[in-house]
Amino acid sequence: MSTAKEASVKDQLRQFILEELASAKGISQFSDDESLMENGVIDSLGVFRLVTFLEENFGVRVGDEEITADNLQSVDTIEQLVVRKSKK
Amino acid sequence: MAYMLQQLLTSSAARFPEREAVWARGRSITYRELETRSNQLAHLLQQCGVKKGDRVGLFFPKCVESVISMFAVLKAGGVYVPLDPQAPVERIGYIIGNCGIKVLITQDERRRSLDLATRESLARCVVIDQATESGNGTGVLPWSALSDYPASHPPLVTLTETDLAYILYTSGSTGRPKGVMLSHQNALTFVEWCAVKFQITHEDRLSNHAPLHFDLSVFDVYNAIEAGATVYLITEELALFPTTLAKFIENHKISVWYSVPSALVLLLLHADLKAEKLANLRTILFAGEVFPMKYLKQLAELLPDVELDNLYGPTETNVCTFYKVDRGRLASMDKLPIGIACENTEVFAVNDRDEIVTSPGESGELYVRGPSVTCGYWGDIEKTNKMVIPNRFQKNFEEKMYRTGDIVTLAEDGNYYFVGRRDSMIKSRGYRIELGEIECALLSHPGVREAAAIAIADNLVGNRIKAIVAAHVAESVKAAELQQHCATRIPKYMIPELIEFRESLPKTSTGKVDRVQLSRESQEGVAVTQ
Repeated sequence: MSTAKEASVKDQLRQFILEELASAKGISQFSDDESLMENGVIDSLGVFRLVTFLEENFGVRVGDEEITADNLQSVDTIEQLVVRKSKK
Repeated sequence: MAYMLQQLLTSSAARFPEREAVWARGRSITYRELETRSNQLAHLLQQCGVKKGDRVGLFFPKCVESVISMFAVLKAGGVYVPLDPQAPVERIGYIIGNCGIKVLITQDERRRSLDLATRESLARCVVIDQATESGNGTGVLPWSALSDYPASHPPLVTLTETDLAYILYTSGSTGRPKGVMLSHQNALTFVEWCAVKFQITHEDRLSNHAPLHFDLSVFDVYNAIEAGATVYLITEELALFPTTLAKFIENHKISVWYSVPSALVLLLLHADLKAEKLANLRTILFAGEVFPMKYLKQLAELLPDVELDNLYGPTETNVCTFYKVDRGRLASMDKLPIGIACENTEVFAVNDRDEIVTSPGESGELYVRGPSVTCGYWGDIEKTNKMVIPNRFQKNFEEKMYRTGDIVTLAEDGNYYFVGRRDSMIKSRGYRIELGEIECALLSHPGVREAAAIAIADNLVGNRIKAIVAAHVAESVKAAELQQHCATRIPKYMIPELIEFRESLPKTSTGKVDRVQLSRESQEGVAVTQ
């Protein structure tokens, strides 16, 4: 159950990042552990579009102090953030 | 008196050898180290064949080696060309070819990412990391080679203040970036004005938010070095996260901040800025785009004791006017002036009748004259002659002036206000973007018949970019495919966020694509969806 749910969070994340952020930067693929900052998928506006997506799609509240490189680095870390926040 | 940029370093290194000069990514170097390392690298560059006036590319993300390299190239008599580490390699290859870079300072992995023709055009690469084995012997020198060269003095080169110091590439309307050539005198005119105007001392801590290929960084680096202060280089990753960035300003006790307004707006909206935490911050300078008044007023209220200055000027003049925010007047202001001319610079507006604007309320195109004005664009005499033109208002001798393309209005109090552009250049996050360059990138896709790029005004970043495209065969091309195609030719900040497909584009009576109509439709579209 838990694995299925986590996989689906990841799928939704991948889909959003690909369609809404990466593709507008001309990027068509990235791996789950790749830094989305280093590859240029996420820029300063992208950060906030991503946070809005997390809040609206997963019903979690992401505080300004949680908008950090550690949390939003990659698909993997974003998923961990969502899972952690959903448990609360 | 300094007439070469590198003299600023030599003089500060003599006064403050043990002070921190540059901090980046958790590492710092002292003035002594910066002076000796740049001497060594200058000798090494000379050994690589760099002679007076030769261009040397700097192609790696910001780090202490960036500043060492800038000074080393100058000391070797060369001209440095900062290359955007995030730009597509095709564009980097173009710039390397365009200004004839033969020696590149880079990282080994980046060197390998360049296409074969570009790699073969380079005589030597100095890598700031370790060269891999296969890299050795093919003109690749590791940073560790510096220690073989003299540290106590720079090579002997005869230069004057009119020699070039660096070339900054900006967006070009004909589809290719253009290199703005700046001399030591151009840069020092601005740096020396700032030193006095903003009273930078050796106790200051300056931030460097802008990328090094962006002219805002000239202040950060050279004014810090001029004063014997410390410059803190902010990496691209750090700049993305407002709360982390605010902590950075607090922890490093930054006293002077300079950036595009959009960076400040992000801090304001998402970093929970508190005056008591930013106790060392005394001056905020901003430039590159219009600061939305709503946010400027909030910032002024939040940081009541911080001086705020609006600096204005295209890369071709660095900064030519300034306006110190008057807090008494700010509340009642609905638009911020670009202000009055800096010292040793003259600006004036020329109206449609080719007269200098003297009466308040009148508008015209802004012209700039004085020692800060560029000598032109690298290898492009035609473009240079269009923009850096003989001053027809100077009757007594020959001199040049720069036409900015910016329309301004002269106000009652002598301040100028920015009104708009004569052409299709726009600003987004402070970046200069020629819409024509985006259109060229789109049109280079085989499936595209017609393309127009337009700007949609945005309070956060200045402008967002939208493209309207007509394909040769309807529905044969997709937005994502075009965006990927653009990514191989233009930087990410220029790629259209939105692409709308149409059967054909509206035309003006002269048969040109009607950008005005497209803009109007798009702004209305935005208004409806909001």
